[in-house]
Amino acid sequence: MITAERKPLEELIEFIRPYKRILLLGCNECVTVCAAGGRKEVGLLASGLQMALLKSGSNIEIRQHTLERQCDPEYVEELVPMLDGAEAIMSMACGCGVQQLAGRFRDKPVFPAVNTKFMGASERQGVWAERCQGCGNCLLGVTGGICPIARCAKQLMNGPCGGSTGGHCEISDDVDCVWQLIWDRLKALGQTERYLDIMPAKDWRPAGGSGPRKIIREDLAE
Amino acid sequence: MSFQKRLAAKEFAVLAEMHTPKGVNISRLVNDARRLKGRVDAVVVPDMDNGIMRMSALAGAVLLQQQGVETIIHMYCRDRNRMALQGDALAAHVLGVQNIIVANSTEMADGDHSDAQVVDDLDEIGLIEALKKLQEGKDISGFDLDGAPDFSIGTAISPFSNDEEMATALDSARARVAAGATYIVTPPIFDPQLSASFLKAAQSLGVPVLATVFLLKSLAIAQYIANSDPGARIGDDLIRRIRKSSDREQEGLKIAGETVQTLRDSCQGVVIQTLGWEHKLPTILDMAQL
Repeated sequence: MITAERKPLEELIEFIRPYKRILLLGCNECVTVCAAGGRKEVGLLASGLQMALLKSGSNIEIRQHTLERQCDPEYVEELVPMLDGAEAIMSMACGCGVQQLAGRFRDKPVFPAVNTKFMGASERQGVWAERCQGCGNCLLGVTGGICPIARCAKQLMNGPCGGSTGGHCEISDDVDCVWQLIWDRLKALGQTERYLDIMPAKDWRPAGGSGPRKIIREDLAE
Repeated sequence: MSFQKRLAAKEFAVLAEMHTPKGVNISRLVNDARRLKGRVDAVVVPDMDNGIMRMSALAGAVLLQQQGVETIIHMYCRDRNRMALQGDALAAHVLGVQNIIVANSTEMADGDHSDAQVVDDLDEIGLIEALKKLQEGKDISGFDLDGAPDFSIGTAISPFSNDEEMATALDSARARVAAGATYIVTPPIFDPQLSASFLKAAQSLGVPVLATVFLLKSLAIAQYIANSDPGARIGDDLIRRIRKSSDREQEGLKIAGETVQTLRDSCQGVVIQTLGWEHKLPTILDMAQL
């Protein structure tokens, strides 16, 4: 999923201070799963903003809504009747959702309420960790299903650096050395000979080196 | 007179561009530079121009300085992060290279290492600000330097193909001047008359304007640029002139020399680009009566 964290309340207040009526929008997809911008978080943020603004003597009307997917134009259309009177939109979706709204409603300022962080997975309740950088040419088939692009601080492709100690990365004891994980996994799979294969310098074009990426499925595109 | 002093004295500066080799054979670079000694104010050494991997500009510049030729190096943001850029800038100063043009990068996809990772840690304005800060004795994280460098910082105006793009390019140049660039280099000017409005607009940036003069080596190149790049403003008269000439190569050199001469009225200097024909630079200077 795409993970996100809510921005500090003070930053959000500064975004909306000039307005009297805003629409606060959540998203039912990734940001709901990582508890950053779903229906529940929309309610909490609306109350928080109203209380903070009341304390400073201003009043704001916040209309709340949560879309099934903010990155999908089909669902974004639902908002048209809700926007009457709203001077601005604050989105609790990832950056994709925010931009979808800004592209559709060009006369309304759109503000992000969360910082989009990374593509990750849940490690345990309340903990999400980066797992994929969307490099466009998946290596997991040759690295035991563990990604050195997303999970190695140096994005090393041919084994660990000298900073790997006791299975940990030199940047922090809280970070696993991904090459230790890969080695352990290859050992468990009986594929340790793969470790000696030299991986060539990575082609970064599919990772966005040639500019913003796009997927066009001719069989689906209208 | 040094390049910096010439600019400060508002005198016409003549610069020539020379590329480093793609390899370690430096004989051509050094020989071409020797023939220019005393004839140009400085040689501009681009860094991996057009996205082609070559010997670094700093090494090339040091080689030329060893021949007694003042140099200006290009720095840009595609291939180096803020650490490497600052480190190279400090190295440039101590190696005697104190003129830096903050240049635009060619897209990695258009170079000869299109699979390489793009850095772009800073943008051009960020790089100009970093160079300014180094001059103040601090790095961009605010740490003190043990000895501050001194640079003249120029920048390049991005090429444009229509009036709208020209306005954007000028706005970008204005921001770079505000950040600390003290002179600007234009895209190639083929016909000073047809580019008069642009040159006038460039003057409004309030810093010396150095026009690029690009050697048209053949009719085919002139036609290609005229057809593919309307912003270059190569007029039909110029194409006709080259076509009708009995010695087109000589005509191209003559046109470059005349362009340099004409630009004396509207610019504070020129950068002559010959892209591989650096051995012809003395001829162009002869034609320009320099």
